Amino acid sequence: MDRRSYLKSVAGLAVAGTASFSVFKWFSIHRKVVPAEFSSKHELLAELAEMIIPQTDTPGAKAANVHEYIIAVMVDCTSVKEQNKFIDGIAELEEYAAREYGKEFLKCNPAERKAVLKQMAKNSSGYSYKILNKINNKIFGKPFFLKLRELTVEGYCQSRLGATQGLAYDYIPGTFEACIPIRPNQRSWATK
Amino acid sequence: MYISDKNKILHTYDAIVIGSGISGGWAAMELCKKGMKTLLLERGRDVKHLVDYPTANLNPWDFKAGMNNTIQDREANPVQSSAYSPADKHFYVSDAEHPYIQEKPFNWYRGYQVGGRSLTWGRQCYRLSDLDFEANHRDGTGVDWPIRYKDLEQWYSYAESFIGVSGNRENLGHLPDGEFLTPMELNCIEKHLGDSIRKNDEHRLLTIARVANLTRGWDNRGPCQNRNLCTRGCPFGGYFSSNSSTIPAAMATGNLTLRPFSIVTEILFDEQKQKARGVRVIDTLTSEVHEFYAKIVFVNASTIATAGLLLNSVSSRFPDGFGNGSGQIGHNLMDHHSSAGAYGVHDQFTDQYYKGRRPCGFLIPRYRNLHPGEKLNFKRGYNIQGHGERQEWMDKAQSIDGFGEDFKAGLTTPGPWTVWMAGWGECLPYFDNQVTPDPSKKDKWGQPLLKIDFTFRENEHKMMTDIEQTSARMLDQAGFKHIESFNYNKPGGSTIHEMGTARMGNDPKTSVLNKFNQMHEAKNVFITDGSCMTSSACQNPSLTYMALTARASQFAYEQLKKGEL
Ligand SMILES: Cc1cc2nc3c(=O)[nH]c(=O)nc-3n(C[C@H](O)[C@H](O)[C@H](O)COP(=O)(O)OP(=O)(O)OC[C@H]3O[C@@H](n4cnc5c(N)ncnc54)[C@H](O)[C@@H]3O)c2cc1C
Ligand code: SF4
Repeated sequence: MDRRSYLKSVAGLAVAGTASFSVFKWFSIHRKVVPAEFSSKHELLAELAEMIIPQTDTPGAKAANVHEYIIAVMVDCTSVKEQNKFIDGIAELEEYAAREYGKEFLKCNPAERKAVLKQMAKNSSGYSYKILNKINNKIFGKPFFLKLRELTVEGYCQSRLGATQGLAYDYIPGTFEACIPIRPNQRSWATK
Repeated sequence: MYISDKNKILHTYDAIVIGSGISGGWAAMELCKKGMKTLLLERGRDVKHLVDYPTANLNPWDFKAGMNNTIQDREANPVQSSAYSPADKHFYVSDAEHPYIQEKPFNWYRGYQVGGRSLTWGRQCYRLSDLDFEANHRDGTGVDWPIRYKDLEQWYSYAESFIGVSGNRENLGHLPDGEFLTPMELNCIEKHLGDSIRKNDEHRLLTIARVANLTRGWDNRGPCQNRNLCTRGCPFGGYFSSNSSTIPAAMATGNLTLRPFSIVTEILFDEQKQKARGVRVIDTLTSEVHEFYAKIVFVNASTIATAGLLLNSVSSRFPDGFGNGSGQIGHNLMDHHSSAGAYGVHDQFTDQYYKGRRPCGFLIPRYRNLHPGEKLNFKRGYNIQGHGERQEWMDKAQSIDGFGEDFKAGLTTPGPWTVWMAGWGECLPYFDNQVTPDPSKKDKWGQPLLKIDFTFRENEHKMMTDIEQTSARMLDQAGFKHIESFNYNKPGGSTIHEMGTARMGNDPKTSVLNKFNQMHEAKNVFITDGSCMTSSACQNPSLTYMALTARASQFAYEQLKKGEL
């Protein structure tokens, strides 16, 4: 697929953009989402999550099946408004990849992918006034990248691999030791 | 309803206790131990210790969507879902099934099951003192408590010795010490804050919370394993609940009949004897209506439910509700506020950490209005509850930027030390803060919905401002950075310490109960849940309900023996 026609094929998805508030936007953030919209992004979400928490000397998000967590939370626990925000974010990411590199995000090489996600992170940084962000998040939902990262973190840190290898997990601590010297390479506790 | 003579015998007990939560469990145990055949009525299902704690041993990854409640669930249960997670949802009621009317926003958190909210409570246990028992009298608010600390002191000891409370002795007049097990330990940031407070404000102190968590094996329970998963029910019996403690002890006497699925809809009055003769119950499994009879009745349905039950029990003697000659039932509803406080980050002690999950934080006992001369713009006081910890992933995800290897490294290593603390403040008894049944709206059992009309007032708001300021200052003096004071402005009910709708007092014209929690107008009815409270003090209240219940049980038993009831 050449750059032009690929662009065209994803253009329909990119609904929200950064347009100011309008009736259209209100409609678009309240439209009904079907679970399949998330499930079809299975692979993409797995890659994105892995980019946020990659495999290092400990497992990354992909091995910990974090994308399944993200989809479960999105489908069952998230308001329609936030679901749409998230779907729109994915579309925006795909559209950006298409515009910049003329191909699907998943076909991009690691450096290109990184540049795309960086751009999304930049778009999420919001207003420099905290209060505006709060209001904005309340009306429109959390910016895509922040929501994606939040879910990735939650999903990873509560997964079996993430909790027991990425972090330190103590199933039944027994004792409480209030002040102990920190060990070299100490990982944080998985649970509070 | 017709009840045959045979049934009438089966339906007759020495004592009936309504509600099996913290106070009802205590009433049942005390009465059973005295040899009385006791019927414990509970509207919810049975919850057996150990057997019915389905989530207690689950790992974080056993929850498909983590600790997030589903959207459907949040829509059906807007109030309760703000308190529960998938890990302990089964110990809260469903708002959809058990609606109430919020005249003004009020979170009425409930657990309808054997054990009530003893399964989900925070276990903080503090005694009241004469500063609290004399407060109404001194500043002319509400009515005077009919008891003083000396009346309750031995009963506090009695309750603590049974449930097991860990804590540190501090020798304070206004927050008396108890019978404590070894305290839990403060961590290094908490100790640091404590040292700074001692140095800068010598009349204040920071101590470890006093909690009904066992630091050693006790009465076949515990010790606590420091998992901090208490609201799921404890497989080690590491904390006090009716299920782990009072109900098994009552059962062991052979005198207890526990009847779950039994909503008490009315207390029945015997016009001739001028006493309660029993209760009417709807069996929620069969929808049948039963009556049960007893010589004495203990009402422990929890503050708001108790007020509703009394107001719904009308007869020609009591057209305005059972024992409501004073017109006070349902009024003077109180709840602590716990919205205001401060948060800060500390850049030292980075070589220190901890192991284990201590199931409690610290306490800074009340330091306001302890002495008559203090000139503050509010009455009464607050204590500060909080905890110190190092930032972990939940906090760090908000505070670090980017993604990739660096992000992961930051996320999975301990962050700086932080302290969060907030004031648990006294709420004055306002006549207009009240509960009333609305007969035009009924629940699925045909019972009128309760309407709750409650707000915090000027005194509470001024106190919150003071909490913000003093908390932030204590953090500042201890070298914390990025200090943020806050006021979450949570609505009433959010601290889950409802009290005061059937208050104690000396005068039957202005109060519902006498100094032994006995109804002024029906001598064989005792109310020992939070509705009896004459003022709220600022301490977490449940230990006081336990002490009052044990004391009232003893009194009721003696009166019965003397033929006075
Ligand atoms: C998350 C949380 C944290 C808390 N933390 C603390 C704390 O740290 N310290 C503290 O002191 N307190 C704390 N509390 C408050 C404490 O739980 C209550 O004060 C205490 O449980 C009240 O005891 P109770 O016996 O009055 O009522 P409950 O324990 O609520 O029990 C009432 C019982 O009566 C039953 N019932 C109600 N109506 C009827 C009826 N008509 N017929 C039959 N049965 C009926 C209910 O189903 C229930 O089982 C906390 C509460 C919660 C939820
Ligand atoms: S922290 Fe202690 S009391 Fe709480 S659940 Fe764990 S073992 Fe039980």
